[in-house]
Amino acid sequence: MLNRRNFFKLSAASAAAGVAGTMTLKQAKALPAWNGGKDFSHKTGRQRKAVPSACLQCVTRCPNIAYVEDGRVVKIEGQPNSIRSEGVMCAKGQGGVNQPNDPDRVLYPLRRVGARGEGKWKRVSWDEALGEVTARLQKLRDAGTPEKFMFHYGRMKASTSKMVGEFLKTFGTGTIGNHTSICEGGKWVAQEYTWGAHYDSWDFDNTRYVLNFGSNVLEAGTNHIPTSHRLIRAITDRNVKLVTFDVRLSNTAAKSKEWVPVKPGADLAVVLAMCNVVMNEDLYKGDGEAFLQYCKATAKHDATTAEKIASLKAHFAPYTPQWAAKISAVPAETIARIAREFATTHPACVISYRGAIAHYNGHDTERAIQTLAAITGNIDNPGGRCKAVGPKWHYPKGISEKPKARKLDILDGPKGAAVSPNHHMSHNVLKMIKDGSNGRPDIYMTYMYTPVYANGEVQENIDILKDETLVPFFVSVNPFYDESAALADLILPEPTYTERWDWEDMVSPTQVAEFYIRQPAIKPLGDCRDFATVACDLAERLGTPLGFKTKEEFVRLSCEKTPEVAAVGGFEYMKAQGVYHDPKAKPRYHSYKVEVSPAAYQKDTVVYDPQSGVYWDWKKVHVVSREEALKKGYTHTKHAYKGYVGHRVGDKVYSGFKPDKVNTSGYFEIYSSIMEDKGLAPLPTWVGVPEHENMGADDMMLTTYKVATQIHSRSQNCKFLTEVNHDNPAWINPKDAQRRGIKDGDKVKITSPVGGIETEAKVTPAVNIGVVAISHHFGHWQYGRYASGHKAPEGRDDDPDLQRIWWKDDRGVHPNWMIANSPDPINGELRWMDTVVQVRKA
Amino acid sequence: MHELHWGLPVILYLFLGGLGAGAGAVSASVLLRSGGGDRPGSGFDIARWGALIAPFPVIVGTGMIVFELGSFQAGNWFRFVNLFKVINLSPMSIGTWLLSLFILVSLAYAYTFFMKDPRPGDARHSLRKMLAWAMVPLGVGVALYTGILLGALPARPFWNSPILALLFLVSALSTGVAAILLARAIFREATHHQEVARSTYLMTSSDLLLIAFEIAVVFLFIMYAHLTIGNTEAAVAVILGGRLTSLFWLGFVALGLAIPAAIELKYVIPTLLYQKQYVMPRSIEIAVCTLVLIGGFMLRYIVVVAGQITGPVGI
Amino acid sequence: ATPAKRYAMVIDTRKCVGCHACSVSCKTENDVPLGETRSWVEYIEKGDFPEVRRSFLPRLCNQCEKPQCVSVCPTGATYKRKEDGIVVIDSNVCIGCKYCVQACPYGMRFINPTTGAADKCDFCLHRVENGLVPACVNTCQGKARIFGDLNDPDSVVSKAVRANALTVLRPEMGTGPMVFYIDADHTDARDAARLGTYVRIETNRRQQERV
Ligand SMILES: Nc1nc2c(c(=O)[nH]1)N[C@H]1C(S)=C(S)[C@@H](COP(=O)(O)OP(=O)(O)OC[C@H]3O[C@@H](n4cnc5c(=O)[nH]c(N)nc54)[C@H](O)[C@@H]3O)O[C@H]1N2
Ligand SMILES: Nc1nc2c(c(=O)[nH]1)N[C@H]1C(S)=C(S)[C@@H](COP(=O)(O)OP(=O)(O)OC[C@H]3O[C@@H](n4cnc5c(=O)[nH]c(N)nc54)[C@H](O)[C@@H]3O)O[C@H]1N2
Ligand code: SF4
Ligand code: SF4
Ligand code: SF4
Ligand code: SF4
Ligand code: SF4
Ligand SMILES: [Mo]
Repeated sequence: MLNRRNFFKLSAASAAAGVAGTMTLKQAKALPAWNGGKDFSHKTGRQRKAVPSACLQCVTRCPNIAYVEDGRVVKIEGQPNSIRSEGVMCAKGQGGVNQPNDPDRVLYPLRRVGARGEGKWKRVSWDEALGEVTARLQKLRDAGTPEKFMFHYGRMKASTSKMVGEFLKTFGTGTIGNHTSICEGGKWVAQEYTWGAHYDSWDFDNTRYVLNFGSNVLEAGTNHIPTSHRLIRAITDRNVKLVTFDVRLSNTAAKSKEWVPVKPGADLAVVLAMCNVVMNEDLYKGDGEAFLQYCKATAKHDATTAEKIASLKAHFAPYTPQWAAKISAVPAETIARIAREFATTHPACVISYRGAIAHYNGHDTERAIQTLAAITGNIDNPGGRCKAVGPKWHYPKGISEKPKARKLDILDGPKGAAVSPNHHMSHNVLKMIKDGSNGRPDIYMTYMYTPVYANGEVQENIDILKDETLVPFFVSVNPFYDESAALADLILPEPTYTERWDWEDMVSPTQVAEFYIRQPAIKPLGDCRDFATVACDLAERLGTPLGFKTKEEFVRLSCEKTPEVAAVGGFEYMKAQGVYHDPKAKPRYHSYKVEVSPAAYQKDTVVYDPQSGVYWDWKKVHVVSREEALKKGYTHTKHAYKGYVGHRVGDKVYSGFKPDKVNTSGYFEIYSSIMEDKGLAPLPTWVGVPEHENMGADDMMLTTYKVATQIHSRSQNCKFLTEVNHDNPAWINPKDAQRRGIKDGDKVKITSPVGGIETEAKVTPAVNIGVVAISHHFGHWQYGRYASGHKAPEGRDDDPDLQRIWWKDDRGVHPNWMIANSPDPINGELRWMDTVVQVRKA
Repeated sequence: MHELHWGLPVILYLFLGGLGAGAGAVSASVLLRSGGGDRPGSGFDIARWGALIAPFPVIVGTGMIVFELGSFQAGNWFRFVNLFKVINLSPMSIGTWLLSLFILVSLAYAYTFFMKDPRPGDARHSLRKMLAWAMVPLGVGVALYTGILLGALPARPFWNSPILALLFLVSALSTGVAAILLARAIFREATHHQEVARSTYLMTSSDLLLIAFEIAVVFLFIMYAHLTIGNTEAAVAVILGGRLTSLFWLGFVALGLAIPAAIELKYVIPTLLYQKQYVMPRSIEIAVCTLVLIGGFMLRYIVVVAGQITGPVGI
Repeated sequence: ATPAKRYAMVIDTRKCVGCHACSVSCKTENDVPLGETRSWVEYIEKGDFPEVRRSFLPRLCNQCEKPQCVSVCPTGATYKRKEDGIVVIDSNVCIGCKYCVQACPYGMRFINPTTGAADKCDFCLHRVENGLVPACVNTCQGKARIFGDLNDPDSVVSKAVRANALTVLRPEMGTGPMVFYIDADHTDARDAARLGTYVRIETNRRQQERV
């Protein structure tokens, strides 16, 4: 949209920019992608205001730069100084500019006036809104039942999570739910059982081979941009081989040297068979064998390496590639060949995500994958599967006097539904409320979480939330009018992430910590308030001020308290630069090999537990005496991991794999005594998905996935993203389609025991036989006009693009109407990818 | 589906522009052929009808196209004057000037007939004759140009052929003749004048000739397009076995060419071979002319649409 | 005077993951209205199960050396800049006759509904003029887009041009594209019938057929 007049202005502007302009031009010569944090208006040629901040479209939270013109966020780019993103940004991050400018945003607190869900609202003041919440909270506290305030959050991270956490603790409720079990909780638990804590970082910059089970790393992933662009670089510049096991041809599979279509839920069989090949063919020799020293592979922690090898050989012996081929529909030769390639190319990185773990057998799938990495010596090494490294922020702690939290036992699902739901069972919270036998919250407040849409069994979620006898007061903290907010009694509008403060802490794929902050590019529109600041306000209203009043203050104090950041200039430095990493820092590998100083493990309150090999501080876990500690032992003392100091390997004491959820031993636990204790197989063991084992001839397996241009349910009102992708036809293999007389584009009916949908078929060979794949982002019935065609209350009409929506008849159908909220029996993860369905022509 | 950037306004413009240009050129050449129309059987009447018709379809057509301008649609009503600020080698630029000139000249030419009792040798005779000399090349130019406008684009293989300009020219002349005959058939008194019959016969037989020529050009167009490989071959598939096939064969070839030709033949042959008195009932005359006009419109419609829904093959 | 530049882009499709960051960045950078696109990514899916491939073909204006869009423009609104070879449109002069839209063999042009003028990728002239790379290049997730001055032998783009086997789109059109591809998949939907295999081209935009 150039015109000559502007064009002259443009040239003048660049002349005025003078030296700076030339400088970047030289950089442009040297670097293909680099904007130096600058941007110019295409309309006026003027330079725009640049605000270093951080993305929050997805959980990756990349540092970014927001550009502001005439008080509007007009553009978001990558942060060139970030070691994580190296300045690149994904489509979702780019589309983030649509969030603050969303014409369907909720800008003022809204109180329901009609019946619940009827869609009638009135604008109320913050004072009125918070007055009501405070009164209700006060009543609960006065009655001694603070636990009847349930706070249920989704993507709450870093400083927000700390501040809100302080508020909840101060109030005294422990009824705090998250969304982790519908996300990747299962993977986390499996990791907590093997190497103590969760999150694996993939060192693509140094790897030579990447083996992928069910991760769509090039389109999704919780550390998406930092890992994906490195993986592309690895596979093209360094010719690293990428092999992807997926039930459909994701873009990651498409960019892989090899796509191996695997039967849903059968990855475990494949991985077990790979372990079999590695052990059977002695491919563990070398780095794998050396690493076994740090592994627990038998009941005894101090077994010799030979004993460990014998144990593993024996355990994996039945899991031959031929055996796995029958289960997974992957040829035995392929399994064996890839196992050999993986084991003999050093270093190599095995990666996994929800495709592998959101299953009945997800827990052992991830444990088996960890095992495969361990026995080939690819754990926490350059080029392997590493322990996460993130920045350690110091932050103000609020008041020290906190009541002992009380909580309703509704977070972990029905008794016995999962053995170890370390990250709860969010998808069963509403069911538990309906059931009522463990009590019901009087106030149900959600933050950045949409229980209606994000869980399975959508209809039941709606029915429960609509029922005022089950959920008497429902508050949704939300910048948008999503399907859940539509059922709320009160909507507290939060500004979008471009208008907020935060310090951020996502892990780094370079194993060097990066500190970064999010700062508002513009003042919050309307009367939106950062919920963390609102929480401070609520605390104050309740007579228990937290000691800080706003998020900005919290971030500033954190910058001053955090030594690394304070040293370079604290808050002012971070506001100006956005990111900081220590340029001299060395990447952190082999963290488990750090020796613990004798002073630390010879302390009075520390005992050695010969059974597990752990030194632990009994005082920290409130054990009464040393004797008691010695008697009870580490493994069987509740929360003993909190006192973990180190563990003995041979004659040395190492920091080991420090546990943070269960009492693991500091060893890399291929063999899990805790599992054994719970009556489960201690070594990764095959178990099939029950539904898949009893399938009728006409049944198919439903799977769901993410696309590169959308984030869950929350990006569909971003017009530029939804323009690229707005529907989610059901992928079906031509073989399956033909048998059912389905042609490309036909309407099909898909039904499960839970529900059914009618949608469009996309007949494509890019999906495994027997599988229907439906992405989960679409089929909204609220959220705004770009997403669903429905205007939010008080939606504005000032965006001319509202007249140009051309996908009105093409908005897809949400698959979660027919997915059951049923958990992985071990870790509680929702089994997203196990649903059995019938598909027929509509 | 590729997008139709040019729709009905452009189709009408090409059709009306061709028709007016054809009528003008035919009028002028009829006039000139008889040295200004002062000999008997000169078809002065024909020339007059042609002259009176010529400017208006062209003006209306040109007016239509303004509605298709993005600038006009966006509210910049008079942005189109930019067309007159430059001359360059763009077919559209050349065409713009040609059209403007044609409109001016044809208006003046029409003016020479616009008097109480226009006759050969009247007061405006010499001006009329002079303008007629300009009308022939201008009319042919405008008629040709509409084909060149489309034909100049390699990106539109269906259009990208020199034959297209020829086809448009012949069709323009044919629709021009049809328009003249139609106008005269509608407006003349019902008396069967020897003179009128003679000129009608001449006009109808030339129209027949033009249609025959048009059929030949269409044949060439299709044959060459079909015998070639790649882009053009793929593009003509749209009329040979694609979305526009039936419209092309029924709407254009049958309705617009074959049927009027057959009817004309039926009336022309007796006169031609057996020197019989030429009589064509007025109703038939009107019907034939209407069919020819429909055919002319169909041709523009099909060509404009076909060009836009086809494109280069491969990437 | 500064020596003339010849801006060009090389797209290394081996590095392209079809993420659409380029498409979206182009929209936000240039305020492109819904329904129209200056930049998009085509998905080419082909083969038979399980030997199925999907490749990605990012598309943008080729800034042709012999731009048909320029030679047909009756007002001179569209022209190729002498100083850097970028083909631009002066939206104050353009009358929106759509002739250039018809003339571009790559379907790159559209009428911008807000200005009524023809519009298309201009290599982000306002950025390039100020020494920045185009928005799509800056964001490109795979760093698949390489931009620079072909007249400068040391530029990244000159190096990429020298070091790789390159193709351009529809070379037979004689337009002389300045956007070059490494390892592009030139498969067309029409090839499917000929080869007897499955080929699906998705343009990911309103105009669902490839132009
Ligand atoms: N673009 C985008 N990126 C995102 C998100 C987003 O919504 N959009 N969300 C973020 C979040 S919160 C998360 S948790 C991550 C998730 O990141 P991923 O887990 O990588 O993404 P998913 O699409 O959930 O699942 C990955 C793949 O698993 C495949 N799959 C399904 N069943 C099976 C199976 O049985 N075996 C195998 N081997 N594969 C299978 C699917 O086809 C899919 O390609 O992404 C994060 N990044
Ligand atoms: N079928 C199927 N279902 C899935 C998945 C799948 O792959 N397939 N993926 C699952 C995964 S991995 C996850 S993590 C979950 C995600 O599920 P959720 O955590 O519920 O995440 P979203 O759906 O992205 O967003 C929740 C709500 O947050 C609100 N929101 C957006 N921005 C803000 C903000 O800045 N502040 C506040 N306060 N609120 C905001 C929006 O209104 C949105 O409705 O979904 C799961 N559901
Ligand atoms: S990966 Fe993309 S959406 Fe996620 S934080 Fe980074 S830029 Fe934003
Ligand atoms: S941004 Fe780069 S990697 Fe992504 S689709 Fe565009 S060209 Fe391909
Ligand atoms: S690609 Fe099309 S619009 Fe761009 S310069 Fe070439 S002909 Fe013109
Ligand atoms: S639309 Fe504008 S730029 Fe294109 S040819 Fe017409 S006047 Fe020229
Ligand atoms: S160079 Fe600029 S205008 Fe062209 S495609 Fe890239 S972002 Fe769009
Ligand atoms: Mo997630």
